[in-house]
Amino acid sequence: MEKHKAEFSIAATEDITDAVCPLTFVRAKAALEELEAGDVLALRMNDGEPVQNVPRSVKEEGHKILKLTDNADGTYTLFVRKTGE
Amino acid sequence: MKIIVGGKFKDYPEGLRLSALIKQENVETPEYVTVALNDDFAEARTFDEIVLKEGDNVEFLYFMGGGGE
Amino acid sequence: MSFSKEQLERYSRHIILKEIGVKGQKRLSEAKVLIIGAGGLGAPAALYLAAAGVGRIGIADADRVDLSNLQRQIIHSTNDLGKEKALSAAESMRAINPETRVEAQVCFVSADNIGALVADYDVILDGTDNCPAKFLINDACVLAKKPFSHAGIIRFRGQLMTYVPGQGPCYRCAFREPPPPDAVPTCSQAGVIGAMAGVIGSLQALEAIKYFTGAGTLLTGALLTYDALTQEFRKIRLPRRESCEVCGTHPTITAPFDYAGAVCEIAP
Repeated sequence: MEKHKAEFSIAATEDITDAVCPLTFVRAKAALEELEAGDVLALRMNDGEPVQNVPRSVKEEGHKILKLTDNADGTYTLFVRKTGE
Repeated sequence: MKIIVGGKFKDYPEGLRLSALIKQENVETPEYVTVALNDDFAEARTFDEIVLKEGDNVEFLYFMGGGGE
Repeated sequence: MSFSKEQLERYSRHIILKEIGVKGQKRLSEAKVLIIGAGGLGAPAALYLAAAGVGRIGIADADRVDLSNLQRQIIHSTNDLGKEKALSAAESMRAINPETRVEAQVCFVSADNIGALVADYDVILDGTDNCPAKFLINDACVLAKKPFSHAGIIRFRGQLMTYVPGQGPCYRCAFREPPPPDAVPTCSQAGVIGAMAGVIGSLQALEAIKYFTGAGTLLTGALLTYDALTQEFRKIRLPRRESCEVCGTHPTITAPFDYAGAVCEIAP
């Protein structure tokens, strides 16, 4: 994740690989609400349903998806910038 | 003339008084009904004086005392 | 304070909602609601508000659970017969959500205690069974500047309205004063369909939740009426009455008071 630091600094990380729908999104939403507008959250999630649904739901809430990286271990990390309300 | 009673258009003869409407509409416990006429409350003592006109909007409000027991 | 994983799971269906989210759920967890009456209306309202994670709920009633209550008062069960309703209700509320602080008040509201009771809470729900008590709650809430939800049910009909200080009429604006005892039918004389209590009590819970979370618009300046026989809801606009004895421009009621005859009407 070193190279991302050059592009944006990560304010918080949340691992939702232990959750299933809809808690994946609930946990992501809760983590984002803890942050200030402009902060970046790194969300680690499982392949499959989470990676299909969580990015879309987060986008629907108005936040900006910066990047989705494949961790090559069956998980992905989604970088989201929180937008103001 | 057409007036609105409880949200529905109804046909009544010209010159109808509010007290007569209350009788015609078979209002339950008429002595304790609250009447809203065109977004204002009508005083009970004036029911016999109020002459309804075309387009008037009448709502009957009732006491509903239940809910606990 | 941030929610634990278990709390996020318990309240997940709220948190997903744009109108509530974590912020709204936190507001609910800090909210204080007083429910007056653990009967037909109070039963669903108390269960839904406890389940919703309202931080503190007072439930006031001095009656005991009677067999004729169980057709609609779903917060009590057959095993609770004879138990104080406030205590029986509190047990059910704690069972559905141990996180909610439930304060059972085994008392009837009167002019003597209502001021102190409402002072402790943010929102009051009227779940009483008689008109004098409804006027008492109205006056006490208007005078204490507390929002409250009024409701009543009879036969196949129900109605409710919400009072928020400075935002429209109070119950007395429209209904002025209670009718004489026995002038209008009560549920024990006229009957009531049990599920009506569920519909209207749940709507009261919704108004409280909307008040705390800021979601949508409240039933201020409006009376919502429901007729189960025709399945019609109607929202009737209610004006303020400048001459209202308690919330008007020159109020004559400056302290809550009891109407004579109220006490005997309260008996089940």
